[in-house]
Amino acid sequence: MAQEPQTQGPDIPEDLVKIAQDNNIPLDLVRRALALGFPAEAVKQQLAMPGVTAEAAEQFISQQEAMRAGGEVVIPDDLAEAAKKHDWPDELVKRGLRLGATAEMLISQMDAGLRPDQAERFITQQERLRGAAQPGAARSAEAGEQALDLSWMKVPTEWGIRVRPGKKGLTVGALNVGTYGDIPDYWPYQTEMPRGAYPIPGVPAMGYTIYEKAELWSDNAADLYEEAIQRRWRPATDIPWESIEPLPDEIERAMCQLCTFFCEKALLAGDTVGKWLPEMSYGYHEVKLYLATAEFDAARHFEVFRKRALCNGGGMGIQSPGYFHRAIIDARAWTETSAVLHILSNSFLMGLYQLGEYVAHSEAESNIFRLCIQDTARQLAFGLGHLKYFLIRKHDRREEVHTYFNKAEAVMVYDDENDNVLREALIILLGGGLIKEQILDGYRKLEYFKRRWVRDYLARLESAGLPERRERLHYSLKKYAEEPVAAQAA
Amino acid sequence: MTQGGVKTRASFPSTEWFEAVRSLVNSDEQYRRIGTCDAVVGVKVPDRQKYYLLTFEAFECSEVKESTEQEVDNADFWLEAPFEKWKELITNVKDNGKADLHHTLNTIDLEDPQGFARSRDGYKRDLFYRFNQSFQYFFDLSSKIETTFPN
Repeated sequence: MAQEPQTQGPDIPEDLVKIAQDNNIPLDLVRRALALGFPAEAVKQQLAMPGVTAEAAEQFISQQEAMRAGGEVVIPDDLAEAAKKHDWPDELVKRGLRLGATAEMLISQMDAGLRPDQAERFITQQERLRGAAQPGAARSAEAGEQALDLSWMKVPTEWGIRVRPGKKGLTVGALNVGTYGDIPDYWPYQTEMPRGAYPIPGVPAMGYTIYEKAELWSDNAADLYEEAIQRRWRPATDIPWESIEPLPDEIERAMCQLCTFFCEKALLAGDTVGKWLPEMSYGYHEVKLYLATAEFDAARHFEVFRKRALCNGGGMGIQSPGYFHRAIIDARAWTETSAVLHILSNSFLMGLYQLGEYVAHSEAESNIFRLCIQDTARQLAFGLGHLKYFLIRKHDRREEVHTYFNKAEAVMVYDDENDNVLREALIILLGGGLIKEQILDGYRKLEYFKRRWVRDYLARLESAGLPERRERLHYSLKKYAEEPVAAQAA
Repeated sequence: MTQGGVKTRASFPSTEWFEAVRSLVNSDEQYRRIGTCDAVVGVKVPDRQKYYLLTFEAFECSEVKESTEQEVDNADFWLEAPFEKWKELITNVKDNGKADLHHTLNTIDLEDPQGFARSRDGYKRDLFYRFNQSFQYFFDLSSKIETTFPN
């Protein structure tokens, strides 16, 4: 594009010239925007926004020029309605418009809880700065002295917060005080701006897709995050690896096969949560923080079971069929993913970890399984917390939740029925060997444990507000739904 | 717990026994390192009609008290076993310095068809799993007490 001749008005920085030319915005328009007092950085951000046209820019600048020339500032109807609802005086709204704020931005600020007195302080500050930047205005800085733009110090966020540590130290949950504790049902920002900060125009959207609290929230998320951080453990040094002694070949092979299965489950959990984190908007950081620890749990579980498989003369076993893995990772909504991964899959996994601790041959194995039980229990707690929150707020989607479980239970049962490798490994571990009586004993115990995990799964769903799942359970699992009748395992 | 080389003696089940373990736990740096634990845990010894409530809060066991069965039923979860099973557990801990592989809380829970850890709420029962290491450590510390068992 050919360079336009320079006309009267402020000089345009070179990078701004390039952005204007790249977006087919006449330089004269840019010059008029600068003359109005808009900072070059703000103009740059606006021009870089997708869909900006010369016509729209012309219209906006003409309106601004008319206002500055004493023309009447007209408050659009939707803005007037929002201002009335939030007790913002008309004059304050007009001052905001004169500064170049769009009606949409002002409504968004009102809905986000910005009080009129906070807005007043911010607008006054902006007016003062804008006045100082006008052509011909006296500059405060002497020649050669670096001037600081301290307008950011007047950010209209809630100030003077002094959260004190409690018995557990200074926790994330404790920070939810005043306006910072206001967690909206809908998060209006598409950027990574933290909740409680003040938005600026022009920041590119981050591509999140979940903006509704009911779609991801769990009341226990902040506490679970702290719990996960507090109760973290290190497989390299917290497990007494030296306590592991050589085992009979069939037992070592069965344990290694079980470890292989757990490694797969851990990789799946990590991939699944990792896929959903970028979809969740930042208004609900408690959930994002907790899930980040769940990601770390998954990595740790992969690590510890790979270490167990490779530390006692064994190795990795055979891959599992993995039909159920696809049911989890292919889920199209977070609530479905959480229900299937955190509640259904983890109930089953919890049962296996308990079983692993029950058949442990060393202090190391016992510790590994107990520590994994703790991590998995947190994930179960998150899943149940989210399902409960979702069901209370989305009455009309209760049937949809059953559909999630119908589908996932069916695939999990199919997976289980086709996974002879895992079943045989469990029978050997529970029976203690390959002798006929041991196999029979192992089989009986496995059936007993299945009853326990189905019982626990249903009790969890009942606590989350889905007691009728007992009647709708997949028919292959229903046979395990009665109370365990005999302590075969004992 | 030793005082001038003399271990605390306490009878199980009794408030004194749980107080003695609580005192050990609250002065044990390793317990604190396990991490925060928040739960109200009941203990039932039904054949002796003895019921207790243990309150775990942040990095300590903040309270133990004798209670009624009804109050224990409202705890987050409770640990229930006949007197002889409790005696076996505590004796095993005493003999080994901590529970051996066959007497961990999880193993005892699995062996009981109704569960050693019970609750009226599936979510709250999972606190037994979430803080399992803390509860195991609590009972393991009873190895430092001279426990007596009344006939």
